[in-house]
Amino acid sequence: MAGGGSLGGDRGHQKRGSLATKRKKKKRVGFVLDMTPLVDIAFLLLTFFMLSTTMNTPQIMEMSIPPQTDDVQVAASDLFTIQIDDKGRMFYNLGEETPQLLAMKDLRSLAINENMRKKNQLITSFKVSTKAPYAIVINVLDELNLAEGDITAQLTTEGLERKRKFSLMTLTPEEAEVLKTL
Amino acid sequence: MPKIKKKRTGFVLDMTPLVDIAFLLLTFFMFTAKFKSDTENEQKFVIERPKSSADTSKLGEKDLAIVKIAIDTVNSDTSYYYSISNEDVRAQVYQAIPTIPADAKAMIAVDSATLDRLIIETRLASKYKVKFAIDADKRIEFKWVADLMEIMRKYKQTEFQFVTDKEGGGL
Repeated sequence: MAGGGSLGGDRGHQKRGSLATKRKKKKRVGFVLDMTPLVDIAFLLLTFFMLSTTMNTPQIMEMSIPPQTDDVQVAASDLFTIQIDDKGRMFYNLGEETPQLLAMKDLRSLAINENMRKKNQLITSFKVSTKAPYAIVINVLDELNLAEGDITAQLTTEGLERKRKFSLMTLTPEEAEVLKTL
Repeated sequence: MPKIKKKRTGFVLDMTPLVDIAFLLLTFFMFTAKFKSDTENEQKFVIERPKSSADTSKLGEKDLAIVKIAIDTVNSDTSYYYSISNEDVRAQVYQAIPTIPADAKAMIAVDSATLDRLIIETRLASKYKVKFAIDADKRIEFKWVADLMEIMRKYKQTEFQFVTDKEGGGL
């Protein structure tokens, strides 16, 4: 559409002999199509598709669990335990320490610090009460995943390859009893 | 001879660029539009998904088995719902389990015993190709998810996805 603003063209500038002097030449309009209905429909459809499109498709969180729950002996000192009780309170402890209350916002920095201290040795054990709300579980997993990015980056600068050791299981009644007293 | 009166055209606006852009947008939205699947249309509950921000990959569509754990809006009971996206696999699985009626829909409400059968049959029928996703309401108790994970573990389906919504919503 170079330069053209007007509909039709204004060709035919060359003189046509004597005729041109006698009669005022009618400007050629070429071919005009009324586009109004077309445009109406186009806008109608456009509005429909714009409004019906949903942009927030659900996203996913990858999860993998160990195939069987046979007991593997691990050193207690390598364990970083996060526990969630019936009421949705979060506790953490290292090794065999007494669990301490933990706020969600402190979880990420704690996970990063502990993992950096122990490098790839640390096993994160996440235990959830069966009565805890599912949203908290996802929040914790999300925080741990976010921490994972930082841990991997820091370990890479040290020339280490990140091996994540993580388990998700339900809280045993005994553990739940301990948390109740806190 | 009087001058021929020029016909008044009123006011002319060149709509060409406007129409060009309108059509461009129209084509874009038409191609990106995704319509609700049958499964979603049949769904009689709303799942309030938990929010997450670490992983931003989107939920796939092909070869997916979704276990939904939702709270009924009427009687606020929690229950499992199961759907398989691949129709061939779905037909095979439904046929293999006698307790499922022949006219069962794309998504069915199931108890944990049926869910157990469904998961192993889906694994077999799809030759272990189907991915599993857990789409649970954030208000449910963890027990529902833990039980489901136990079933998956039993059938060595050790990898699955939690369906979440993006933190902050929007795009």
